[in-house]
Amino acid sequence: MRKIIKNPMSLAGLIIISIIGILAIFAGYLSPFDPNYININAILLSPNGTHWMGTDALGRDVFSRMLHGAQISLLVGIVAVGISTIIGIILGSVAGYYRGIVDTIIMRLVDVMLSIPSFFLILAVIAFLTPSIWNIMIVIGLTSWMGVTRLVRAEFLSLKERDFVLAAQTLGASDLRIILTHLLPNSLGPIIVSTVLGVASAVLVESGLSFLGLGVQAPTASWGNILTDGKEYIQFAWWLSLFPGLAILITVLGYNLLGEGLRDNFDQNT
Amino acid sequence: MLNYLIKRILWMIPMLIGISLISFFIMHLAPGDITSNESAFNPKASEESRQKLRELYNLDKPIIVQYGLWLKRIVQLDFGSSFASHQRPVLWEKKDENGNIKPGLIQKALPITLLINLLTILLIFSISILLGTIAAIKKNKIPDRMITLFVFIGFAIPGFWLALILMYSLGVVNQVLPISGLHSIGYEQMSKLAQILDLLKHLALPVFISCLSGLAGISLYVRNGMIEILNQDFIKTARAKGLYEKKVIFVHTLKNALLPLITILGLSIPGLIGGSVIAESIFAIPGMGKLFYDAVLMRDFPVVMGILTIGSILTLLGNLIADLAYAWADPRIRRGLAK
Repeated sequence: MRKIIKNPMSLAGLIIISIIGILAIFAGYLSPFDPNYININAILLSPNGTHWMGTDALGRDVFSRMLHGAQISLLVGIVAVGISTIIGIILGSVAGYYRGIVDTIIMRLVDVMLSIPSFFLILAVIAFLTPSIWNIMIVIGLTSWMGVTRLVRAEFLSLKERDFVLAAQTLGASDLRIILTHLLPNSLGPIIVSTVLGVASAVLVESGLSFLGLGVQAPTASWGNILTDGKEYIQFAWWLSLFPGLAILITVLGYNLLGEGLRDNFDQNT
Repeated sequence: MLNYLIKRILWMIPMLIGISLISFFIMHLAPGDITSNESAFNPKASEESRQKLRELYNLDKPIIVQYGLWLKRIVQLDFGSSFASHQRPVLWEKKDENGNIKPGLIQKALPITLLINLLTILLIFSISILLGTIAAIKKNKIPDRMITLFVFIGFAIPGFWLALILMYSLGVVNQVLPISGLHSIGYEQMSKLAQILDLLKHLALPVFISCLSGLAGISLYVRNGMIEILNQDFIKTARAKGLYEKKVIFVHTLKNALLPLITILGLSIPGLIGGSVIAESIFAIPGMGKLFYDAVLMRDFPVVMGILTIGSILTLLGNLIADLAYAWADPRIRRGLAK
C-alpha cells in the first residue's frame, strides 16, 4: 500500500478510481433527481444551479444519470474482469502446472480465441442473445481471459523450477495446495496489474457497445447510451456529449495509471 | 526457410478448425434453436427466412452432422445469402435466376476496410517510431513527459467520443472535412487525381480514429525498446569507438528496436479489424465493420457468421505474413532456418 502512494502514477490513479467509485456506490444518495424521471417542462436545459450537468431531450437530469451510469459502467467492468480473471487463473494454473497435453490444448484454445477479432466475437454473441447488462458482463468476461491465462502459465513455468516448490512436493503437499499456497501468491503481482488494466478496457468495451445500441438498454443509464442519446443534439446541447465522454476518459485513465504504476512497483521488486 | 513456411501453414489447419468450432458454438448459444424464441419475437425475421435458416444450418439434423455440414460449407467458402430483401450472397458474386450478377457483400466491403487498415498501419508506424525515438532520446525530460501524457490519453479516450467531437468541430461547424460515406456527390465526373483526393479526405477522420490507441501503444513500445537497447554493451562500444550520436541512434539502436514491431503488427491485426466496427458505423463507411454492425442489428445470421469467419482467416493470414517477415528480417532467425 505504501508503495502505491509513493509512486505518483499509481497514487493519481488510485485517487481518481476512489472518487469515481464512491460517487458510483452512493449514486442513490447523491443524485438530486430520479435518473429516469421524465420532465417535459425541463427539456434540454443547459447546466445550471438545479441541473448541474443540464437535462436531456426527455427532461431527465444528466448529473443523476451520470452517477447511475457510473454504477453500471463500473459494475460491468469489474464483474466482466472478475469472470475473465477467474477463468484465466484456473486455465493458466492447470496449463502451467501439469504441462503436457492439457497445456497444449489450453494454449491452442488461447491461440484460436486470439485470432478471432474480439469486438466481432462480442458483437456476434450479442446478436444471438438479447443485449442485457448480465449478458454483456458474461460476454466480455468470456472473450478476454486469454491474456491472464498466458500470464499465469508463464509465471507458473518459472516458479515451478524453484526450490521451495520442490520442497513442498517432497513433503507430500497436494497439487492443489502447492498451486493455491505456493504458486498463486507468488504470481499475484502480474495478475493484479492485468486485472486493473482489464477493468479499463472492459469499461471502454461496454461504453462502445452501449454507444452502438447493443449494450446496456434504455432506460437504464450507462455512459455509452447517454452519449448515444445526446449525439442527435450535439449542435445545441453540448453537455449531453461532453460529460459522458469525459467520464469514460477519466475512469479509464485512472485504471490505466494505477495499473502501470503497480507494474513499475512489481518490476522494481523482482 | 521452406520447411518453416510449410510448418507454419500446416499449423493454421488446427487453428481454422478451432475457429469453426467456436463460430459453430456461438450459433447455438441462442436459447432453443436460432429460429425459435428470440427470432419469434423479432418481427424482422419472417417465417420464410426462418425456414431458410433451418435449411441453411440443417437444424433438423443431429448436432454433429450439423457441424460437419457447416464445416464442409466453410471449406468451400460458401456462406449462403443475406436475409435482407436484396438477398445478396455473403462472400462472392453470383448469378441469380434471371442471369443478373449479384455482387457479394464481403467482396464489396473488404477492399474498403483493407484500405483503411493499411493507411492506419502506415500512419501508426511512421508516427509512433518518431514519437518513441524522441521520447527515448529525451528520456525523463519534457518531450518524453509530453509523449507519455499523450500515450495515456490516447489509451483512455473512447474513439467514438473523439469521432463525434471531430465530426462536429471539423465537419459541421467548420466544414473542413466530409463526415460520412466514401465519396462526394459528383465523384464520377471528377478527374482521377481529384477522385483520389476526395477519397483521402473522406478517409482522414476514420483513419485517424482507428490509429489512436495503436499509436499510443506502439509509441510506448518503441520508447521502452529503445531505452533498453541504449543501455546495452554494443551501444557503449559504438559510442566508445567515437561514432556520431546520430549513427548510434538511427543505425545501431533503432534498427534493433524496430524488429519486434513486426510481431506487434501481426498481433494488432484482430484489434484493427474489430475496431473498424465503431469507426465505420459512425462515419457511414460501407466496409466490413459497418456491414457486420448492420447484420448484427438485423440478426442477419449468414452475414454475421461469414464476417466472423473471414475476419479470423484474415487475422491468421496477417500473423503468417508477420512471422515470415520477422524470420526474413532477423538475421539470427534467418540463418538458423537456413541451416
